[in-house]
Amino acid sequence: MKVILPDNETREFENGPDTVEDLLRELGINSLEVMVSKNGTLIPEQAKIGSEDVIRIIRIAHGG
Amino acid sequence: MSLSPTEKTVPGCSECGEPAVIYQQANRRYLCARHLVHEVEERVASTIRSEDLILPGDRIAVALSGGKDSTALLVILSRIFRTLPGATLVAVTVDEGITGYRTDTIRAAETLTKNLGIEHHTISFRDLIGDDLDTLLSDREKQACTICGILRKKAVSLIAEKVNATVIATGHNLDDEAQSVLMNALRGDLPRIIRKTETRSPTAFLPRIKPLASISEKEISVYLFVQGLFPHLPECPYASHSLRSEVRSLLSGLEIKHPGTMQNLIESKKSIEQSCSGMPVQGLLVHCKKCGDPCSGDICQFCRIRASLGK
Repeated sequence: MKVILPDNETREFENGPDTVEDLLRELGINSLEVMVSKNGTLIPEQAKIGSEDVIRIIRIAHGG
Repeated sequence: MSLSPTEKTVPGCSECGEPAVIYQQANRRYLCARHLVHEVEERVASTIRSEDLILPGDRIAVALSGGKDSTALLVILSRIFRTLPGATLVAVTVDEGITGYRTDTIRAAETLTKNLGIEHHTISFRDLIGDDLDTLLSDREKQACTICGILRKKAVSLIAEKVNATVIATGHNLDDEAQSVLMNALRGDLPRIIRKTETRSPTAFLPRIKPLASISEKEISVYLFVQGLFPHLPECPYASHSLRSEVRSLLSGLEIKHPGTMQNLIESKKSIEQSCSGMPVQGLLVHCKKCGDPCSGDICQFCRIRASLGK
């Protein structure tokens, strides 16, 4: 599984977490502060993710 | 884990079964893109109707920074306005003069208003006070959000009056509102907790309405993203200095562990408002001795800040 973090850093997981929720917990990211896409499509935290997926974590920017 | 192609990996929308894009913790529902967009617009329209925020004939100055909240506000209002007789929209933007940040958001604001066909006006801190924010803040970065907030409020009021607006609409969302309640409690500022900015009075400022106050920051972001409208913009470089930044992190952590925390804060504000109804908590409205603007003391916040900046 390829995970693209908000700062565009990329991390590979061989046996990654089963759900978005688990992934964010492992990365120490609050799910209220980000959106997550799987292979380009936005998904909720309860969605399952697999080893072939490309996951992008998009930070909800603050200040404006 | 390798998922089989036929395995359902994304929960279905509670309305139609299509793949969901968001889970709404408060009412335990999944929504697909189509139903989220519809629901957000309905809730904003309902807020406007139930609180009489916009009246026929109003000219609404939408404070448009180009960031996600004000972008969503303008998009939603432009759609809702098809059903509001006689009301018109105008977008107003403040250029504070923040290097590496504001240029991109102003460009986004210009593109959006052009695409929506909405009149757009800009005012800068240089117009307002003679300098940009970066210059005004030399050695005062820790006060950035306080200074910027007061100057920006004044700038929006001035440009709104100049374009003959009858009301100002801002993009404050549910998270912002909950943060404000907690921040004001932490400061011991009861009058500010219950201050009603939307009240219409000929002797006070233009009323300020917050049509997105019932929509969470995440719902707004997803609403924009699924329509290809989410602005991928940098964070304000001064945001980390603010009390709001600390309160935001604290509250989002609490909301995850204790769902409903933000809504409870907003409900507590409403309870305090009801308990204080008719009581002289807010103090009498007087006029600033320097500029004549309505305020609660001898000198308004803008004139105090201006004096402290040597302007």
